[in-house]
Amino acid sequence: MAVGTPSRPVGAPPTPGLGVYDAARDAGGSWAVMRGFVTSVRLGWQMEANWTDPLLFVIYSVAKPVSSALILVFMLEVIAGEAGRSFRSFVVIGSALWAFVMSGIAGLAWAILDDRERYRMLKYLYVSPTNFLVVVLGRGVARLAVGAVGAVITLAVGVVVLGVPFDIAAIDWPLLIISIAIGVVAITALAVVMAAICIQTRMESWSYPEAAAGALFLVSGAVFPVAVLPGPVQAIALVNPLTWWIVGMRDALFPGGISSVGGIGTVFREWFGHASPAPNETILALLATGALATLGANVIFRVSEHRAKDRGLLDRTTGS
Amino acid sequence: MVVFHRFDGYRPNTGGALYSPPPIRRVLGGPMSASISAPAIEVRDLHRVYDAKPAPVVALRGIDLEVRPGEFFGLLGPNGAGKTTLIKILTTLLLPSSGTARVFGFDVVNETTQIRRIMNMVAGGEQSGYGILTVREQLWMFSQFYGLTRGDGWRRVDELIDAVGLGEQRVQRVSTLSTGERQKMNMVRGLLNDPWIFFLDEPTLGLDVSAARGIRELILDWKGAVDGRTVLLTTHYMAEADELCERIAIVDHGRILAIGTPAELKRRVQAESIFRLEVDRLDHGPGSLARLPGVLSAAAASAGELDAERQTVAVNLVLEDDAALSGVVGALSGLGSQILALRKSEPTLEDVFVELVGRGFDAQEGSNAPEAGGPDDAVQGEPAVEAHSG
Repeated sequence: MAVGTPSRPVGAPPTPGLGVYDAARDAGGSWAVMRGFVTSVRLGWQMEANWTDPLLFVIYSVAKPVSSALILVFMLEVIAGEAGRSFRSFVVIGSALWAFVMSGIAGLAWAILDDRERYRMLKYLYVSPTNFLVVVLGRGVARLAVGAVGAVITLAVGVVVLGVPFDIAAIDWPLLIISIAIGVVAITALAVVMAAICIQTRMESWSYPEAAAGALFLVSGAVFPVAVLPGPVQAIALVNPLTWWIVGMRDALFPGGISSVGGIGTVFREWFGHASPAPNETILALLATGALATLGANVIFRVSEHRAKDRGLLDRTTGS
Repeated sequence: MVVFHRFDGYRPNTGGALYSPPPIRRVLGGPMSASISAPAIEVRDLHRVYDAKPAPVVALRGIDLEVRPGEFFGLLGPNGAGKTTLIKILTTLLLPSSGTARVFGFDVVNETTQIRRIMNMVAGGEQSGYGILTVREQLWMFSQFYGLTRGDGWRRVDELIDAVGLGEQRVQRVSTLSTGERQKMNMVRGLLNDPWIFFLDEPTLGLDVSAARGIRELILDWKGAVDGRTVLLTTHYMAEADELCERIAIVDHGRILAIGTPAELKRRVQAESIFRLEVDRLDHGPGSLARLPGVLSAAAASAGELDAERQTVAVNLVLEDDAALSGVVGALSGLGSQILALRKSEPTLEDVFVELVGRGFDAQEGSNAPEAGGPDDAVQGEPAVEAHSG
């Protein structure tokens, strides 16, 4: 009997044999893709949050970004004293946003390593009909969400405790919404690149995502302006989507503050002919670099997946 | 178990209306070329070489294999034979180096999505699972990855949990399960999508006798419930292969040495029928039987005791085939001998393996144990023993 036999009428008795597809095989279409994504989001969230009680989890989730911001602020205070006050907002905002970036970039890579090495379930996820990239993306959402909560709370601590000037009426909402939307895509793209790298690596590569995020931290203008970097490194910072995302977020939430891009004698001024980026330039730059990162991430992930399948890395466990 | 019979439909409500499967073109996004008349597995000249240092590792050396729909097929071989590599290729987890492999007509390289919808796999000897989730949660998530609706997923999971006897562990965290319970849970995961073909890679490895028996019974129950369900089992347990498989391929050093039913394979090493016969007396000795038609030899064996005074007479008989036995029985009757015991002596699959390879499984185990991080069933370089052709 051909597999493509038309479906039998509703209510008919079960057909013996293999002639009819059943619901379990109805895994095609965008709805099923969404279901796979939502399920992997749920899986990721449970893996993130199930290990402890909610209160402890919240404390854990916000303690790291808040303490990172406080450390930087106190360092600034000790080193620069009164002169550093004008940079306090810059540092607090940058470190808060970076908490989100860090969680996002590391989340997918850690999901890959966790599922392969610790839970040993990656191969079973891989051979299920759901698209592998969709599963990986979903697994990372929980960490991204935790990072977002950490960032918001750090900003709140900055405003309430550290005196970061904030006026809700001054928020540039269009710039904020566009920056968040494109920024999340760009951060996810970088996370996919890290996940692709970690498919190829051994169990000991837990620290790679944080190391990579640390390298990006230097060239994103998070806690110091890009202008302080050497010229060639400034050029790298300007093609980094995270740089433009942070500029966009800063300009949208805290307009009138110090910008991390631009200034006299900077590469930005050489390229664009004026001192600092206008909002539309920020959006365009974020869009262009974000699109480039997304395209590149897709290619890199596909190549990595194929290589992993060719070399038998998808079910490799290197820890034991 | 009724749940194993409910293969091609789901009851969305208690009214009994069955789920109506969607048209196949929508499901697969294109025309279907596969049919049940296609082989469940078709492998042609399959090679697999791993890049490794200091030398490439050859795992498969030109495998040719065909498994029919509905068969329970076994791959039997020692560690390092290439069984797991073959199963990884067939389950789309690994690419072949060369050659072709198809599952129900779908190519393992280019038609992976279709294959993944009609197959599932379970491996043994591993502690896999999201330990922090409950059994039910983990299984439900996989039901979603296999495309079941939310409600159907819960129903299917509960049915299968009950069917395998994991009801009491339903809401237990996976990390608290025993090895046997965890493997039952893995079996449920493997059955969630009612696969046409079920790949089992050493599913009883590391289980105690009782748990292993439970898994074997489960597999047989599931397979027997619906015609056409196919199982490919890899094992290095001879008795397991003998008990479960309709046909077996004996694999070693990446080659298939022989394929056949267990009986056919055993006949390779023992064409004759061998019996041990015990009678109360045999006045003219075993030589009187050796002259009968169809009897190749009859030799005295160690005798037992009938009672305190008399001993029994034991004879090892080698016959051309089983039919010759009737002549022996008739002759004994004529001689006034009473048959006390008659037992047929059969070779084991291990005897077959030794005959084919020149060594037993155990001789291989130590030297080709899997290495962490490397291909787990590949052997390095050229085979140490030249395989006898099948």
